[in-house]
Amino acid sequence: MVIIMNSYKLKIVTPEKIFFDGETEQITVRTTEGDIGILANHIKYVCNIVAGPLRVKQKSGEYREAALSEGILKVSDEGVTVLASTAEWADEIDLERAEKAKQKAENILADKSRADEFGRAEIKLKRALARISVGKRYS
Amino acid sequence: MATANIKDVKRRIKSVENTMQITKAMELVATSKLRGAKERAVASQPYFNTLYETMCEIQQDRGFKSIYTKKEFLKTVLVVVLAGDRGLAGGFNHNILKLAEDKINSLEKDGRTVKVFPIGKKAVEYFEKRNYEIYNKDYQISDNLTMSKSLSLSESIISGFRNGIYDKVELIYTTFVSTLVQNALSVTVLPIESRDLKDIKQDEKTDAEKSQKTSLTLYEPSAEEVFDGLIPKYISGLIFCSIIDSYASEQAARRTAMESASDNASEMIDSLSLLYNRARQAQITQELNEIVAGQMGNN
Repeated sequence: MVIIMNSYKLKIVTPEKIFFDGETEQITVRTTEGDIGILANHIKYVCNIVAGPLRVKQKSGEYREAALSEGILKVSDEGVTVLASTAEWADEIDLERAEKAKQKAENILADKSRADEFGRAEIKLKRALARISVGKRYS
Repeated sequence: MATANIKDVKRRIKSVENTMQITKAMELVATSKLRGAKERAVASQPYFNTLYETMCEIQQDRGFKSIYTKKEFLKTVLVVVLAGDRGLAGGFNHNILKLAEDKINSLEKDGRTVKVFPIGKKAVEYFEKRNYEIYNKDYQISDNLTMSKSLSLSESIISGFRNGIYDKVELIYTTFVSTLVQNALSVTVLPIESRDLKDIKQDEKTDAEKSQKTSLTLYEPSAEEVFDGLIPKYISGLIFCSIIDSYASEQAARRTAMESASDNASEMIDSLSLLYNRARQAQITQELNEIVAGQMGNN
């Protein structure tokens, strides 16, 4: 039996550009509560997303993966909107840069005298880790 | 006398021409940078608008209370000043720094402690020279502030607010109205006032529509947490947008200033050329007179 899935409108927006604007059948994102998948006809929904992988199902049935930074996901009547501080497709990720950022953040976290920077370093570390995990799978 | 004058005028024409070449080049550079800045400003709109709408929706839905909206007695104010890195931009830097100083003075008159967070070389220099208390001067270069840089910039502003180092944040920047008009203005970034949020949707929807729409939305883990998570992003977005705005204004101001400088230079060259031709003519006439006078003496 072939299951025909409905598609819905997906928009992924970052401050720098509209990262993705089109139809999809399913996406998976990482939220503060764990990974969730969104199919068509989802109820209205808003949640925070954390830095992590994003998978978008394409027309061919294959998933395209991207690394997202923290943001929000919003399901409304018009479709699904993902807002993220940054977004990169897996093949666009600069692994070297991510490794450097990870190292830098870890150094700050290891240094007790810089406790006031911990919050920011943690965010940066998470972003770097998301990029590395997505980027490595594709390189 | 005539010979010396000719040389002088020639030298001046040359120097004005050189200046004009520079101002022309700066004008062109500013024009192309302005175009880029405008494009970035347009590209950042959808993100910011969606964020803003979502915040308004939550606010209408549940009302909200968070550490970002507290209204306690305000003792310390952080004034973030966005200026340029370079001069030769007409009144751009002067206007913004003047406004900032007025604002700081009026805050101090009210008994507040003021910390300054200057962004851009000109702002850093200005406030350092005048011995203001500077909170952070890591962001000396406002040119080409990328998203990741402005993110960490706003994160540091937010973390200072959360840690109680200051309890109000004012942002002073220049907004781009048109290529010819840029206005310096000051906005309150933190704490967020609920009336900032409400306005937008009021006219768009009737009350019935509003209550229907909002009550059905599911927030995970909770509306409060989503809201708290949104605010830092909203503020980063606000700061990012104003950085782009200020950058566009700087380029526009520079373009206009350089355009009028080039115009003035070409005017100056015209009048100097006239002077030069006159002097040359006078010299020739005098030489002719001398020759004729000499001939007449011989006869």
